[in-house]
Amino acid sequence: MLTRALLGAALGFFASSLVSFGFAAEPDPGAAAPNIWGVWLGTNGDPNAPPSYRNTPWPALEFTPWGAMESKRLTTPETPDECKPYGPMAHMSASSLFPLEIARTTKGIVIMFEASPLPRRIFMDGRKHSEDLDATWLGHSVGHWEGETLVIDTIGTNGRGRPLNGYISGAVYSKTDTAPRLPVSDQLQMVERIRLVGGGQYLEDEITVTDPKTYTRQFTVKHYWQRRPDLDVLEYFCDDENRGFEAKASAGNTR
Amino acid sequence: MSSALKCLLLCAATVTAGSAWGHHSFAMFDLDKEVKLEGEVKDLQWANPHAWLEIVVPDGHGGSMQWSLEIGTTGMLTRAGWKSSTLKPNDKVTVVVNPSKSGAPSGRLVSVTLPDGRVLGPGGPAQSPAKPPV
Repeated sequence: MLTRALLGAALGFFASSLVSFGFAAEPDPGAAAPNIWGVWLGTNGDPNAPPSYRNTPWPALEFTPWGAMESKRLTTPETPDECKPYGPMAHMSASSLFPLEIARTTKGIVIMFEASPLPRRIFMDGRKHSEDLDATWLGHSVGHWEGETLVIDTIGTNGRGRPLNGYISGAVYSKTDTAPRLPVSDQLQMVERIRLVGGGQYLEDEITVTDPKTYTRQFTVKHYWQRRPDLDVLEYFCDDENRGFEAKASAGNTR
Repeated sequence: MSSALKCLLLCAATVTAGSAWGHHSFAMFDLDKEVKLEGEVKDLQWANPHAWLEIVVPDGHGGSMQWSLEIGTTGMLTRAGWKSSTLKPNDKVTVVVNPSKSGAPSGRLVSVTLPDGRVLGPGGPAQSPAKPPV
């Protein structure tokens, strides 16, 4: 009994010491938030998805000269940069090929998309974008709740992420090499308004893209996911050793 | 007329490309055409960005030809019922493929009939399991 009492006192002292040294439990900024947590699957490409919860197509876009050149560079059967991490636009593409998982952390929200190796971190702790951000694949994202809507602002991308295939834009999958790829650059600003719809079974992301390096004007699209607790987000590592797409497709038995 | 050629002609008018979702374009393959092949597995390359199934098919002249068939990512395949051990070398399979436009012995796998009779697809969108709410 005495041993137990001493042990309890020691643990209590240790815990109070952690608090005094600044290791207290961090607040949970998502505790009272709408239940956006869990595994979701994009409805883009799912023929069973109700029409009201399918991605809205990108509007007719005007590329800047740089944007046109970059889109042309990317428009090949084997998407260049295919094995690189996704940028934030492609991360939130809502393709039905790969699920994503939304989890809350002590600093905010993490969005894990199966097709890309990097988690997307949304800081919800009140911080602002730094004045001198170092560019990263997914950029710097800060968010806050406006009622039931999660508002996220993202800047600071390096513009080198895996580009969107034309089909992800809401254009149907193309059987040709000519469907335009839709790049975003290091000047991207992406503002998202995310909310539950369809009785909480669907997630809507209204995405406003401002990218003056690539497009002549701002535009807004809506992407949708269906709640899919039956799915797991699995490991995906894009292995360059397994390339050879063109060689196999054009010459057959190459290995 | 060989059975492969018959299938190639008959199937060409009936194929839909609705499931032709990919990490990249499948424009190298003729998605409006299907060819049925019977052969033996040489190798299942369980890898990303796409897995590949290599099969050896009799060429009708006493020899054989190796076909390279592209399938989904490992995650897509897992969701479609595959495992890395689903096919082993020398397993006898029947496959339906969208052949390469170039005429090379390669293509996009549409379906494979396993030795135990199960039929698996190439991996792709994980569709809604039930009628979605209105």
